Amino acid sequence: MSVFAKLWSYPKTNIERVALVLVLAIILVAIIGPFIAPFDPLKIAFRSKLQAPSLAHWLGTDGSGRDVLSRLLHGAQLTLSATMLVLVVVVAIGCAIGIFSAFIGGAIDNMLMRLTDIWLGFPPLILALGFASALGASLSAAIWALIFSWWPNYARLSRMVTSDILSQKFIASADALGVPTHRKVFHYVIPNALDVLVVQVALDVSAVMLAISGLSFIGVGAQIPAPEWGAMIADGRSYVANGWWIVLAPGLAIFLTAVSFNVVGDMLRRELDPTSRRR
Amino acid sequence: MAETPLPMVELQGVSKSFARRLFVQNRSFALRGIDITIGRGEVVGILGESGSGKSTVANIVTCLTGYDGGIYRFKGRDIASFTRRERFAFKSDVQIVFQDPYGSLNPRATVRASVMESLLLHRRDLDKAGRMERADLLLEEVGIPASAGDRYPHEFSGGQRQRIAIARAIAVEPELLVCDEPLSSLDVSIQAQILELFVRMIRERALTIVFISHDVNVVRLICDRVYVMNQGAVVESGPARDVLSNPKNEYTARLLDAVY
Amino acid sequence: MTETLSSAAAPSSQSEAPLLEIRDAAVALKSGNRTMVSGVSLSVMPREVFGIVGESGSGKTLLTRTLLGLQDDAYVAAGSVRFDGRDIPAQGYAASARKLLGHSIGFVPQDPFSSLNPSMKIGKQITEAIHLAKGWPMGAEKTREAAIRLIGEVGIPEPALAFDQYPDQFSGGMRQRIVFAIALSQDPKLLVADEPTTALDAITQRRVIELILDRSRSHGLAVILISHNLELLRQSVGRIAVLYGGQLHTIVDAGDIGTRTVHPYAEALFACIPTREKELADIRSIPGEPVGAGFGLTGCAFSTRCAYAEPVCRSAPLPLNERLAPRFSACILGRGA
Repeated sequence: MSVFAKLWSYPKTNIERVALVLVLAIILVAIIGPFIAPFDPLKIAFRSKLQAPSLAHWLGTDGSGRDVLSRLLHGAQLTLSATMLVLVVVVAIGCAIGIFSAFIGGAIDNMLMRLTDIWLGFPPLILALGFASALGASLSAAIWALIFSWWPNYARLSRMVTSDILSQKFIASADALGVPTHRKVFHYVIPNALDVLVVQVALDVSAVMLAISGLSFIGVGAQIPAPEWGAMIADGRSYVANGWWIVLAPGLAIFLTAVSFNVVGDMLRRELDPTSRRR
Repeated sequence: MAETPLPMVELQGVSKSFARRLFVQNRSFALRGIDITIGRGEVVGILGESGSGKSTVANIVTCLTGYDGGIYRFKGRDIASFTRRERFAFKSDVQIVFQDPYGSLNPRATVRASVMESLLLHRRDLDKAGRMERADLLLEEVGIPASAGDRYPHEFSGGQRQRIAIARAIAVEPELLVCDEPLSSLDVSIQAQILELFVRMIRERALTIVFISHDVNVVRLICDRVYVMNQGAVVESGPARDVLSNPKNEYTARLLDAVY
Repeated sequence: MTETLSSAAAPSSQSEAPLLEIRDAAVALKSGNRTMVSGVSLSVMPREVFGIVGESGSGKTLLTRTLLGLQDDAYVAAGSVRFDGRDIPAQGYAASARKLLGHSIGFVPQDPFSSLNPSMKIGKQITEAIHLAKGWPMGAEKTREAAIRLIGEVGIPEPALAFDQYPDQFSGGMRQRIVFAIALSQDPKLLVADEPTTALDAITQRRVIELILDRSRSHGLAVILISHNLELLRQSVGRIAVLYGGQLHTIVDAGDIGTRTVHPYAEALFACIPTREKELADIRSIPGEPVGAGFGLTGCAFSTRCAYAEPVCRSAPLPLNERLAPRFSACILGRGA
C-alpha cells in the first residue's frame, strides 16, 4: 500500500493525476480485461455487423459483427503484454551489455559501444519488414524486430549510468573493502541506476506500443482478426464512412495510453531526479 | 632510520605517472620516487598542498591504485607478490576514510547496512544478528545513535556521514587506517568534533594512522611523525613537532610561514 | 616560528563619518519570501580592514551578495544601507547597488576560475573595467599603461607580457590577482572580498591576503574580508563581525579573541580551531550541528549549542546593534559586551 501512497505523492498537476490514474487503470485492464469482456472477441456474427454503440454493444460492432469493446479489452492485454515483453527483454539484454561494458572498460568497452552505435543506425521499420519476410508477418515477428532494434538504447544508457556510478567515491570505498564485483553490480550499481531506468522504461512504453501498433497497422505485425489495437484500426479503416466507432475506440486507446505513459514518465523523471532529493 | 624491526608500511622509491589525456582534467598527481616508512602504532602525517601527490600516496598505500616503480612492502612482504586471497585479507588490514563524506557512502544502502557490509565481507564468523549488533555498537562508538541506523546517507549532515564512514572503516578492525583529508570538507565546528573522534580512536584502539592533510596545525597536534610533500616528492620528514617548528627544508619553512 | 603582527589599522577616529553604514538589514529569498538573514547593523570606517566570519549556512555570502545587488534570487527585505554619505534607495536597490559596484566598491568573489572570461585576454578585461568605471577620459594607450601598471601592482611578473595572455595561462593565485586588479581598476573606496583565498593553497593564500592588506595601507582602501577562517581574520583585520544562523551575534576587536571574554559563539568558534599556539587540550568542539540561515527561531540561533544558554535565550528577541556601535555583543546574558 505504501508504494501507492508514495506514487500518489508524485503528481503535481491535475494532468499528471489523471495520467497516473489512467496508467494504473490501463495496467489493471490489461490484466483483467479478458475476464470482464462481455463477448468472444473473435466470434463472427454477420447478422449484427456494423452496429453503432448500444446497450448490448457499448462500443458497437465491427465489419464482421465482432464486439468492439471485447476486442478492445482483449487487445489491451495483447498490446501491453507484447510491449512489456519487448521492454523486459530489451532492458535485460541492454543493461547486461551496458553494465558489463562499463565494468570492463578499455578496448572491449570501446568496441561494444561502437557496435551499439552502428546497430542504432538500422531503421527499425526496415528491420521489421525483413523479419516479417523471414518469419512471416505476425505479432511475434514485430516483437522480434523491436527487440532486435531497441536493445542498444538501453546498452548505451546503462553503460553511461554505470560508469557515472563507478566514478563515485563510494565505489572507491567499496574497493578498499574488497567488495566483489557481483556484489558491486547488485548492491551498488543497479540500485543507484534504477531511477534512471524506471523513467526510461515508462517513457518507452508508449514508444514501443506505438511501434507495435504501427507495425500491425501496416500489416507486418499482429494479423487481422487478432484484437491488437493497431490491427483493429487497420481492419476498421475500410468502414470509416459507416462505422467510425471501429477505428475511434482503438485509436483513442492507443492515444490515451501513449500520452498517459509519457506524462507519467516525465513525472517520474522529475520526482526521482537525484539532484532534487539531495538538498 | 631506527624503526621497529618490521615496519607496517614501507614505500621504497615508489613512483607513479599519469597519462595526460586531452580535455580530461586529471585530479591525481604523479609521484617521483618517494620513501615512506610507517611503524606499527604510529600516527604519521603526510603534509602537502593540493597537487603535492599526497592523495596518490593514500591510494597506493590502500592498493586502490597501482604504482609504476619502486617497492611497496606491507608488514615486510612485497605487495606485488600477494595472492588473491592475501589481497582480500589486506583489505581488512588497511582501511581508508575519504575527504568527501557526501560521496563516500552508497546512497541506496541504510547506514547500518553500510557498516554491516564491512562485517559481512571480513567477519565470516558473525551471523546476521551478530553483524547487526556489532554495527550498532560501532555506530554508537562514533556518536551516531543506533536508532538512526535505518536511515539513508542523505538524511545525515556532512559531519555525521564522516562518522558513519569511519564506523564502516573501523568495522573490519584494521591495523592501518588511512585518512585522506578527513576534515577539510567539513564546517569549522564539525572539524573539531571529528578531530576529537580521531584523538579518542587513537587512544582507545591499537591503530596505526596515516593522516593526510594540508593543515599544518592539525598534523602538528595529532601526528608523531610527518612527511612533507611538494610536487610529488618528500621534501622533509621527521618527528612532527621538530619538523613543524624547526624546518630544515626551504619549502617547509615557506609553508609554515604562510599558515595562519 | 615567525609571527606576523596584526596588520590592520585600528578603526579611525570617531570624528570621521563611516564609509558604510548598514542598519537592521534583512535579506529574504524571492521564492517564498523566506527571511534568511536579519537584524544586521554595522559600520565600516574609511581605510578600515573589517572581517566577517561565519560557517557555511551562516548567511555571510548571501548577505554580502544581496547588499551588493549581485544575488538574483534574494532581496533586501528590511533596513537601510548608507555608503559614503549617501543612502542607497530601497526602491530599485539592486540596480543602485550594482552601479556603486562599478565605481566606488570593488568585489573579489570566491572562485578565481569562473570569475574571469576565459576567452578574453586579461589586459582587455582590465581596460574594459577601467572604461566602464571612468567613461573614456583617456586614450587607448593611456588605458593600456594604466592596466599594465595595475597588473604590476597586484604582483604579476612581467605585466606587459601578461596583458596579452588569457586567464587559463595563469595559476589560481595569479588569477585571483587578476580579479583583484579588475576590482581595483575603478579605484574603489571599498573592496569586498568574499572568501578570496579558499580555493588557493596556503602559500598563495597568504600572498593574496597580504597583497590586499598592503593595498589597503598604501592607498587608504577600506576592505571587508569575508571568510570562514577565524584565525586568518584574527591575524589580518581590525574588527570582526560574527554571523551565525543568519544573525549578527557580535562585532569584536580581532585582538580580543582568545585573550578576553568575548561573545560565546566567537569564543566557541575560536576554541574549535587548531592554531599555531594551541595544544590538543586547547581545542574544544561545539556539540551539535550548525543552524542554517532562515531557521525561523525568534531567539538566539546559537542557543541550541551554547554552553551558557538559559531558557530565555531561545525566546527573547536577539538584541540589535541599533546605534551602530563599533563593538557589540548580541548575547542577552551580557557575555562579551
